[in-house]
Amino acid sequence: MALTGRLGLLTLVAAFVPLLVPSGGLLLGLWGLLLLGVIIDLALAGNVRALRFHREGDTRVRLGETANAALIVENTGRRRVKAILRDVWPPSAGVAPRRAKINVPAGERRRIDQTFTPTRRGDREAVTVVVRSVGPLGLAARQLSRPAPRTLRVLPAFPSRRHLPSRLARLRELTGLHSTMIRGQGTEFDSLREYVVGDDVRSIDWRATARRDDVVVRTWRPERDRRLYLVLDTGRTSAGRVGDIPRLDCSMDAALLLAALASRAGDRVDLLAYDRTVRARCENASRTGLLSAMVEAMAPLEPALIESDAAGMVSAIMSRVRRRSLIVLLTELNPAAFEEGLLPLLPGLTARHLVMIAAVSDPLVEEMAEARGDLAAVYDAAAAERARADRRRLIAELRSYGVEVVDAPPDRIAPALADAYLALKAAGRL
Amino acid sequence: MVTTAEPTAGQVAGRRFRSARGIVLVLLCVIVVGVVLAALKPSRKPDDLDPGSPKPGGTRALAEILKSRGVDFQASRSAADAAPRAGAGTILVVTRSERLTRTDLERLRGSVGDLLLVEPGRETLAALAPGVEQDGPTFVLQADPQCNLPAATLARTVEFGQSETYTVPSGATGCYPESGKPRVVQYQSANRTVTVLGAARPLTNGELTTEGNAALAMNLVGARSHVVWLIPDIHHESSGDRAGDRTLTDLLPRGVKLFFPGLLVAIIPVALWRGRRLGPVVAEVLPVVVRSAETVTGRSRLYRAHRARGRAAEALRAGARDRIVPLLGLPRTLAQVLPAQDPGAAREVVTAVAARTDHDERTVAAALYGLAPGEAPQGGAPGHPGQPATGWGEPADDAGLLALADLLDDLERQVRQS
Repeated sequence: MALTGRLGLLTLVAAFVPLLVPSGGLLLGLWGLLLLGVIIDLALAGNVRALRFHREGDTRVRLGETANAALIVENTGRRRVKAILRDVWPPSAGVAPRRAKINVPAGERRRIDQTFTPTRRGDREAVTVVVRSVGPLGLAARQLSRPAPRTLRVLPAFPSRRHLPSRLARLRELTGLHSTMIRGQGTEFDSLREYVVGDDVRSIDWRATARRDDVVVRTWRPERDRRLYLVLDTGRTSAGRVGDIPRLDCSMDAALLLAALASRAGDRVDLLAYDRTVRARCENASRTGLLSAMVEAMAPLEPALIESDAAGMVSAIMSRVRRRSLIVLLTELNPAAFEEGLLPLLPGLTARHLVMIAAVSDPLVEEMAEARGDLAAVYDAAAAERARADRRRLIAELRSYGVEVVDAPPDRIAPALADAYLALKAAGRL
Repeated sequence: MVTTAEPTAGQVAGRRFRSARGIVLVLLCVIVVGVVLAALKPSRKPDDLDPGSPKPGGTRALAEILKSRGVDFQASRSAADAAPRAGAGTILVVTRSERLTRTDLERLRGSVGDLLLVEPGRETLAALAPGVEQDGPTFVLQADPQCNLPAATLARTVEFGQSETYTVPSGATGCYPESGKPRVVQYQSANRTVTVLGAARPLTNGELTTEGNAALAMNLVGARSHVVWLIPDIHHESSGDRAGDRTLTDLLPRGVKLFFPGLLVAIIPVALWRGRRLGPVVAEVLPVVVRSAETVTGRSRLYRAHRARGRAAEALRAGARDRIVPLLGLPRTLAQVLPAQDPGAAREVVTAVAARTDHDERTVAAALYGLAPGEAPQGGAPGHPGQPATGWGEPADDAGLLALADLLDDLERQVRQS
């Protein structure tokens, strides 16, 4: 039940009547009349209890895009229902329209078209549907809220998609679908062909040359069917906001580009998100379904405000990955966290796998290091220099373990990681 | 071209003022009128002109003087009490006449004996001094008699302050005029003398000694041997008027009394209407996101709070060395070697930088390694091996730190350009 502004206004007007006609009976009579009106309205208002709600349309939407969905209102009662309807979602679901007028005859259905323009990644749950049906006199309304469950999954935006074509072109050069095949661009034997001027003499296959009249060279191609294991660190360091987006989202973006590239290159890609437990996993996905499976796994991830358990992470990797793989750890180069956690465990990991660490650096630190002018700016610069020195020292130490390190600001981390992968591929180090 | 720029704060304020200026103007008018009315109306305290009151506004001094001169002085608090006392040979002084009801005035009119009306209102004048009318106020402080009334001519100049003036009926004497309108009027009625005094000030304790005030007061009040001083109380029991016993609710009309409960009842549906929401408020579960550079800014603030110039300088130097050394074609590892560890390496860097910039080796050594000018690593002597690394070359003050930052920038720029 709900009252309307009209009832309030009429009661207010009734309060002024005694100033003209000073009679208590008249005032009581007016009040009685209004009460009667309320009862009539409540009796004659559309039966909101008889409404049933159904939903249809998209359940998945990429962040930044708009999903189309519909709420279908079915009237199972015997009277027509005219009402205002509000579909209640969290604000970040970006539902429009937020309120709709419905007019559903008995036994029929009406469809309300909705669009969702979410502003944040993750799962959004519909809270409830509220219907308010005002009676014929407009004094009172029947109101009811009824759950109509639905989950809208908002997937990561993957803005670094635009880097994919250029990286694929370079991959094609490597795999020989394109231009030259020369030694050094791979270690896997591909085929024999006749020597042409310009070929590396070291790649001449003397045995095959001896069998033929011609000089024959071996050609090589990059390895296929290698394994990549992407590890997303969702611990406290991933919550840091770099520019406008959390570090975790940058890491996801880089991981998606790398996965898209590696799956085209014929490598197998698995994903693990870990802080103190496994937050998400995407393993053994088919090549065609890889990206959607990864995006699906990443969508509900949120940074956890806890210190990541490096030992647990390493043992989770070791127990899952038997074959030699490229382990790509997307984390933050935090000296304190590394020295206590991952550094002592790295030799064990690098002994069996090739390890690459990708970290998003903060452009603000670079800005601060350049700052001059007043005293505060110089102290800022000193602190930034100190942070950069710590980071450099950590990177040098990691490299001494044979770890590949990619350290780039958020707008360049995804292409930088893809380039590092291509360089490894070209060098045949996978 | 029409620009749709953001309105400035001034424009917004201007727009708000224009939309509200009607209300503001009305409010201002109300305030101004209120202030003017309050200023015009003489402020009266409850015990003004009270013959028992020793305050500046009271008249105890006058009463005491009259008593000491053998005048029979009686103070009266109500007209009902005063009227019978005012017989022949008495003078009835009527003060605070605004408190007198119509019944009171009827009673006083029936009394015999002389009358002195102090600052009488319109109704009092009409009842007790017919023919005399108010003729507007005057604000001139002092006045001379300009009449042949003995009481006035004996007193000479009198200070009235703000005073009312009166019209003079035929056969009456007007004294102390201001542009022809007298402040004091006296005339002979059938059996008594009626005097109208436009200002109470000549009678009060505070002003009695000023100019001829005392003389005028004595002459007017002490004209008879019996004085009845009437200073009526408000709504006195014996006044016979029962209006004071009625409470506010008795006086309110019935319609108004019904209006308030009606209004109270009307609040209920309005509150229920505004209070009922169309569905719940949904809280957004926001992820915790920390600014990534927070630790760096925090460290900067710590440096600043503790004036850690030494540490700040060392960090700046280390950063500059790290950028400059590779530019010199020297191995990068050399950048973080301190003179204490390997004076030769430091000397090599200093010499190379000095060669490419217009600074001498001492300045460069001081900038890059914080060595005092005398300690320039030329002789190959180690600096101070026992001294901690951070203690070196701490800038003496904040200006020194700023200068160091600029010097390092300059070195780096020159090396880069060479």
